[in-house]
Amino acid sequence: MATKTAVEICPSTTQGRVNAGALLVDVRERDEVAQLAFDVPNIVNIPLSEFEEHYQELPKDKELVMVCRGGGRSLKATYYLMNMGYENVVNMQHGMVRWVQRRVSYKR
Amino acid sequence: MKHIKILGTGCAKCKQTEAIVKDVIAQLGIDATVEKVEDIQKIMEYNVLTTPVLVIDEQIKVKGRVPLAEEVKTLLQ
Repeated sequence: MATKTAVEICPSTTQGRVNAGALLVDVRERDEVAQLAFDVPNIVNIPLSEFEEHYQELPKDKELVMVCRGGGRSLKATYYLMNMGYENVVNMQHGMVRWVQRRVSYKR
Repeated sequence: MKHIKILGTGCAKCKQTEAIVKDVIAQLGIDATVEKVEDIQKIMEYNVLTTPVLVIDEQIKVKGRVPLAEEVKTLLQ
């Protein structure tokens, strides 16, 4: 398992991928999302604490970009999906923290 | 000889787990190796989302929380 290294991309690349139809998967917990959310059209929130029960709801035929606060939890989720046979999944490095610094769209 | 691995990316809970495990090994006086696995790719070979994880002889025994010393004792005896 996890023999391949996960692909990691930056916020601007992420925004481009989302505009091109990729799905953003936010693995932060619900209270974190309530405080500050990514403002993009294609997004789902599956908290890491519920991820094992719900990951199968994610499509295999779409590119998935995993995100969280700092990029650590989403990297685990990226590897988890790779282990579960998802081939089109990447991680956004540095998470919401960098996303906000780069002033990409978000909402409070 | 038991082979123990503690999987975790270096958070406080992972360090706490390592300390508890080492303490229990010393108390019981058993022959065991303890390896701390911090590399995310190596951790994900066990496909676990929540750390710390306690692995004994390649079997996941506790995941996503710090185990109690008593629990570790039972697992190691």
